[in-house]
Amino acid sequence: MPANRESRSVLIGAGAIVCACFLLAPIGIRGEYYLHVLANILFFAYMACAWNIVSGYTGQLSLGHSALGGIGGYVSTLLFIYLGLSPWLGMLVGGFTAMLVGVAIGFPCFRLRGPYFTLTTIAFAEILRIWVENTDEFMGLELRGAQGLLVPLKGNAPLLFQFDSKVSYYYVILVMLLMVAAVTWWMEQSRMGFYLKAIRADQDAAEALGINSTRYLLSAMALSSFLTAMGGSFYAQYFRYINPERNMGLDFSIEVALMGIVGGQGTVIGPILGAFLLTPAGEISRSLLGGKLMGLHLVIYGLVLVLAVMFLPKGLIEPIGRLFGSRRRRPTEAPAVRTAS
Amino acid sequence: MDPIILGIAVVNGILLGGLYGAVALGLSLIFGVMRVINFAHGTFLMIGLFIPFWTWQLFGLNPYVAVVIAAPALFLLGYAIQSVIIAPLFERERAMVLEPLSVLLLTAGIGLILDNLALMAFGPSVRGVQMPFASKTLWIGEMLNINYARLMAFLVSIAIAVGLTLFLSRSDLGRSIRSTAQNRDAAALCGINVRQVYNITFGLGCAILGVIGCFMVPFYYVSPTVGLSFGIRSFITVVLGGIGSIPGSILGGLILGVVESVAGQFVTATSASIFSFVIFILVLLFRPTGLMGMKV
Amino acid sequence: MMKRVFLIAIILGLLAVPFGMAQAGEKVDEIRIGVVVPLSGIGATVGAQMKTGATIAADEINNQGGIKALGGAKLKLVIGDTQAKPDVAASEAERLIQRDNVQVIIGSYQSAVTIVATEVAERYKTPWVVLASVADRITGRGFKYIFRPCNLAVYDAKEQLEAIKALSQETGKAPKTIGLFVEGTEWGKSHAQNVRTLLKNYGYDLVFDEAYTPGQADFSAQILKIRSKKPDLLIVAMFTPDHILFNKQYMENKLDLPFGLHSVGSGAEDPAFYAATPPKAVEYMFVQEDFQIDITDVQPWTQGVSKKAKEVLGYDLNAYVAQGYSNVYIIVDALERAASADKEKLREALAKTNITSGPALITGYNKIAFDATGQNVDSHGAISQNLNGKRTTVWPASNRPQGLKYVWPIPAWKDR
Repeated sequence: MPANRESRSVLIGAGAIVCACFLLAPIGIRGEYYLHVLANILFFAYMACAWNIVSGYTGQLSLGHSALGGIGGYVSTLLFIYLGLSPWLGMLVGGFTAMLVGVAIGFPCFRLRGPYFTLTTIAFAEILRIWVENTDEFMGLELRGAQGLLVPLKGNAPLLFQFDSKVSYYYVILVMLLMVAAVTWWMEQSRMGFYLKAIRADQDAAEALGINSTRYLLSAMALSSFLTAMGGSFYAQYFRYINPERNMGLDFSIEVALMGIVGGQGTVIGPILGAFLLTPAGEISRSLLGGKLMGLHLVIYGLVLVLAVMFLPKGLIEPIGRLFGSRRRRPTEAPAVRTAS
Repeated sequence: MDPIILGIAVVNGILLGGLYGAVALGLSLIFGVMRVINFAHGTFLMIGLFIPFWTWQLFGLNPYVAVVIAAPALFLLGYAIQSVIIAPLFERERAMVLEPLSVLLLTAGIGLILDNLALMAFGPSVRGVQMPFASKTLWIGEMLNINYARLMAFLVSIAIAVGLTLFLSRSDLGRSIRSTAQNRDAAALCGINVRQVYNITFGLGCAILGVIGCFMVPFYYVSPTVGLSFGIRSFITVVLGGIGSIPGSILGGLILGVVESVAGQFVTATSASIFSFVIFILVLLFRPTGLMGMKV
Repeated sequence: MMKRVFLIAIILGLLAVPFGMAQAGEKVDEIRIGVVVPLSGIGATVGAQMKTGATIAADEINNQGGIKALGGAKLKLVIGDTQAKPDVAASEAERLIQRDNVQVIIGSYQSAVTIVATEVAERYKTPWVVLASVADRITGRGFKYIFRPCNLAVYDAKEQLEAIKALSQETGKAPKTIGLFVEGTEWGKSHAQNVRTLLKNYGYDLVFDEAYTPGQADFSAQILKIRSKKPDLLIVAMFTPDHILFNKQYMENKLDLPFGLHSVGSGAEDPAFYAATPPKAVEYMFVQEDFQIDITDVQPWTQGVSKKAKEVLGYDLNAYVAQGYSNVYIIVDALERAASADKEKLREALAKTNITSGPALITGYNKIAFDATGQNVDSHGAISQNLNGKRTTVWPASNRPQGLKYVWPIPAWKDR
């Protein structure tokens, strides 16, 4: 929070206006397409925030999060197909499953640092994805491998997490996003957040001070996995189809990570800003240029990305944070104690 | 399992593995010296394949001869990208963390841009070079068949590895690179122009891909998305062999190639790739320096 | 303080961008057809071919005076790039339907992508004419707005096996064992499953059955395995890059398949494949595709279309160009009968389609008529054999050129 009272009230005021806009958006927006775009942005913002809980606050870049989202989607969908369990509940089961998987993966991964950690998360995610892609049947359940799963259509069934209109989905993801932002903020303020900051600045020094880094890193991973998986279930219910290639693939992990980093990792609203920059950038460039020269819109998107990384290395949050006179030192400003050797 | 078939699988695996190793060489070099994961590595390979293809298509130039064009061109491209785009960010980050995270993303963005520029310029079609020489094979016995072009690529891979090792150990520039890799601050204190070293290293890493590309084009294919499948495999090779170790890179490639080839005899290829990832993880966890790498 | 308020306003403005994207103006006297295909990433080649076919057809119609029943309304194609991702395709479909107000959409090649995007169309009651996606589920969901002129996946498999049976019966020489080698994602594996299911009716033994990861750099390991299992015939489903590598290595290794290599399209339908592979490597290969490859010989009017395709793409008419072209003509036929731009009336007209002649049959079908699920039951592919560098139709026998001598079984490598 910014230091002085004036900045704080401006911030709260701005925040309130923004929230009000989002809550009232469906009334003002003409056309389901724009609502769809917004819901899409909010979805990616949600995934970026969930990712940020571990990657932003521990400083270890995970590029395997899509697999956790995929697990969530698959578990809730399978429970729906075979047991008729409402995806509202299936989402939670998926979350717990992903949490277990996430911790199991995190345990070996957190022993590594930097790019090695990242590469290992990629390897684990790929193993999961390839396994699902090649498994048609598992313990009697039809996974359909590469063909993916279609969520049975039930028309407008709010109790079964299916709606005819986009508006309901929009509010669901909005609530989910607010929830994950709240969780992130709570975590940041809590003792866990405090310890994670120390671990992120210098893990060895933190451990020397008696901080059980494994415990806190794995807690962050568990939380992140649970929330990511819930996002995966949302995707399954929104698009009513999931497959290993898209939902557990490296592309998706990179897209989400990019938003987190470009927006500003290790902050509460950074990833949201990142999603608000990159998702429309992709959408707009594709809608304007997609049909013309093949690939041009992706060149533009890549340029936006490169420029954002080059000129906003700490993310979008930096200029915006300065706007509010924030004199709070961000985690990345802590000098590295390790020397280059 | 018939020992002859197993033997043939091993030979094929070695030929392929040498190629993986050579492709990974540049990555190993860049990773070892700059600690940067170059996500655009596959993209540079793609450019390294397109250059000899176009010189063949437009001028009828033999791809092997096109090395004199491809290698320098890629060196310059790598050098330029590193010095203009990556270096400023790198230096900014270097003060904060040891392994630059944003640089990884930057390379991903650059890769995306170059991939799609290629798509815009060349169109999406898959291309191939048609050279009678490329289809000639060497038969050993009745079942073992070695394609000359692949054999050439294998030999060139070894040659590059040897050449690079000699260059790094014997020449002044090589020593500068090695010392920068070990400790960039100490190297700077010794008067080494660290930024220049980085530029040259990156350029060199890309130039290697130019050479490999020329030798791959006769038996492989070319398209804007050709680099994708080599991406992750190169990382596995580098880690397996050891970061920053040139012979390690080749060794890692050979192991990967043989494992894939032999495993492919027992299980389907799709499951065999899980094997590669599992080995990758095990190596990282239990022997992070890889087989021949320097201390991380 | 003012500076902060100003900057807040800018940020809110940025956030408002998605809220405020301009609406495209509605034009009268124009029928907008959405073309939702992959134009970047994997499958971009096919997307470009489909788009070209559709553009050629739309231009032809417009030059001939547009839709007569609507007073000469012109066709306008609105293009969307799926990037081969289902959620992106869904966004594109949403945009085309909601913002660009298209009357009908065609697309999208990859089945996973089409499954999701067609659901969007169904929800918004917008007709969709499928391009090339063969997954059964696309027309198997009880949707009313989705029409598929091309083959169901299972037709492809059936035709391959029928052709083998027909050629065996005609020559009296039949294979006993079959091998399956497919790419390991959706299309390849579902084709393999279809073949396995149908195989029971034909009495062949399956001795080799494997999938590979697309993008594989070397097939020696599998060719070795295939050689040791000795199938009489190998059915493959491969994308272009893999097909190029596989055929080259199949030739170099002199892998003998007495009754031939049978490819079920994709790579083998791609002109780039033939440009990049030595002729000897594709000799005698059988290709099943949703298109009669030598149609320019059999129906000379198609040569004009082929020429236009060549101008844009650099190569002649192929299955995907033909499908793009055909789909537009199917829509035009429905528009003329509906005499309305209303989506409901268009859907009804499409459901009653009964085309037995004309440009829509450029794909080589005898008829286009949709059953209750939206599937064209008269769709069929054709099997061609590569003879002397020319791909010539050998099945169905009715599409075979008069007096053609196909090669069955094919000569061993040492005898060529």
